[in-house]
Amino acid sequence: MRNMYTAGIVLLSGLSLAFALGILYGEATDRWFFGGALVGALLMAYSGIVLLLRKMGIIGPRKAER
Amino acid sequence: MSNGPKVVGFVCDWSVDLVPLMEGGRLREMPSVRIIRVPCSGFVRPSWLEDALGRGADGVFVTGCPYGDCLNREGNYLMRDRVDQLQRRLQRRRVDPARLGMLAYGLHDGPAFLAAVRAFVEGIRALPAAAPPRSAPAAPAPAAAERETP
Amino acid sequence: MSTGAGIAPSPPRSRYGRFMTGVLRGTLKLDVWINKVYPADYNPLYYTGGLSNLFLFILVLSGIFLFFYYEASLVEGFASVQYITLGVPYGGLIRGVHRYAADGFIVAVLLHLFRNWFTDRYLFSRDNPWISGMFLLIFGGFVGFTGYQLVWDERAQVLTAMFVGMLRSLPLIGDWLARVFIGGAGVSDGTLVRALFLHIGPASALYVMLWWHYLRLRHPKIWPPATWVLASVGLVFLLAGVIPATSGQPAAPAGRPASFPMDIFFLIPFWLLNYMSPFAVMVLLGALFTLGFAIPYIARREAPQEMSVRHAGVAQVIDGNCTGCELCFFDCPYNAIAMVPSPAPGLSRAAANRTWLAVVIESRCVECGICIGACPFEALELPKFLERDVQAQVLEAVRA
Ligand code: SF4
Ligand code: SF4
Repeated sequence: MRNMYTAGIVLLSGLSLAFALGILYGEATDRWFFGGALVGALLMAYSGIVLLLRKMGIIGPRKAER
Repeated sequence: MSNGPKVVGFVCDWSVDLVPLMEGGRLREMPSVRIIRVPCSGFVRPSWLEDALGRGADGVFVTGCPYGDCLNREGNYLMRDRVDQLQRRLQRRRVDPARLGMLAYGLHDGPAFLAAVRAFVEGIRALPAAAPPRSAPAAPAPAAAERETP
Repeated sequence: MSTGAGIAPSPPRSRYGRFMTGVLRGTLKLDVWINKVYPADYNPLYYTGGLSNLFLFILVLSGIFLFFYYEASLVEGFASVQYITLGVPYGGLIRGVHRYAADGFIVAVLLHLFRNWFTDRYLFSRDNPWISGMFLLIFGGFVGFTGYQLVWDERAQVLTAMFVGMLRSLPLIGDWLARVFIGGAGVSDGTLVRALFLHIGPASALYVMLWWHYLRLRHPKIWPPATWVLASVGLVFLLAGVIPATSGQPAAPAGRPASFPMDIFFLIPFWLLNYMSPFAVMVLLGALFTLGFAIPYIARREAPQEMSVRHAGVAQVIDGNCTGCELCFFDCPYNAIAMVPSPAPGLSRAAANRTWLAVVIESRCVECGICIGACPFEALELPKFLERDVQAQVLEAVRA
């Protein structure tokens, strides 16, 4: 299970990198909607990473909700 | 009823659906576990847990709703903190923390709840026998309680 | 109340009670499945209120951006929105964010409403958040509608005409309301200024009502967990980029389009106009919201005697024992305990030198008993489930 989570995080990180490059590309060529959509995709990839980290137990619950 | 350690469980009325699990105030599968329904897990005063242990119960546990979904918003978090504190306090008096438990199960988690209780009971069975009931200071109170309740 | 020793509460007898119990079980079943994927502290259904607040926050920020460029007049209204969409860098994106965050807001609010309704979280003094929540819903819906007006394309024009028709259908106050709504006898430049005010004014009022909504909650959960903040903001941006928000044809004085794209979250009443008279729609809306306000008072899933220990009476302070330690004050999740200067020393030894005394504000107490567990000095009791009842049950348990 842990290996699957790790693989998921690696995959999502790779995707995030691609999205970030896409944002730069959109900015450079003035494709605002393209860049904006990738900002969204990047944030969603991050949310997946956070979720997987939480499921692996690397980041804990918030202090109030331990 | 004689087989198995005497365990008292304070169970929030909103958490696990006890109707199918209970019979005459005890768990059907583990008659040595007496269930006391409370309005919210946060209702339980830690001194009651301590008293129950002092009067001869082999273990006490509290059950609330899943964390984050307390009917009364924070009761189970508060109770978990209180149980933690009590465990630390009792450890100093050489009472094993395994005799105190805090569980969190929702309406549909009956089987998981039973499994957790069973594990709790087994954990207590494995412990060396408890110290004899610490009766001196606690004795008058139960007598009073007996008289006043019909 | 008896000691409650193992007495199973009888299942609700009324048909409504049985139905709502089924709904309750379904709602909690959903949690069981979600908790298989998400850890309990990341379960989005535990944070529907926080999610609404998050979407509202996105709306405020993107709205401020749009406000910089928007001009409220018949000619400039449409043109300035077009300029935002096409001319301003990332303007169209922010417009889309504003649009989709509004949908997200309504979805989160409705989830919040139904979840708290179905899980009985509106009982006793919790009617206070319920009522303020209904106001928030009405204002939120109205703000969404006036937002569509501001674009001032064909759709906005038709919506305005429809809404004016609905207002005019009301007896006595109808004409006056319609004048207030369009800012004069007919549609003019003043109409869009009025619409802008009716968009931003009630939206600001939402925050006042949120204060009321949180008033009796200690530590309200107003922010969702990190993964949901990222996912919601991300989803809104993704949608805004992939399906950009657009205007229709510019409004023309004689224009009367036969159909226009509908928004299922804000414009349902206008869709109903296809089938009903304006007055009937108004009556329907009125009845719906009246019922909504009445839910805490008319629709009980269980009768009080069926609630068993969960209806044990408002907590009572035992004056003589209270030491003024404030522990109950910090633990009550509903701010229902106030500390007042002690009028006289307490009776017990611990309470003899107290400076404060705990007082339960009965109109806020929901009978949860959390303060009873907090008090180490036996100074609080639930009147129908006393400490002595608990002790008797413990005793019975250890003796057998
Ligand atoms: S029972 Fe106690 S903790 Fe619960 S709402 Fe009332 S005063 Fe607050
Ligand atoms: S916890 Fe008990 S003793 Fe302390 S202030 Fe509250 S009622 Fe008084």
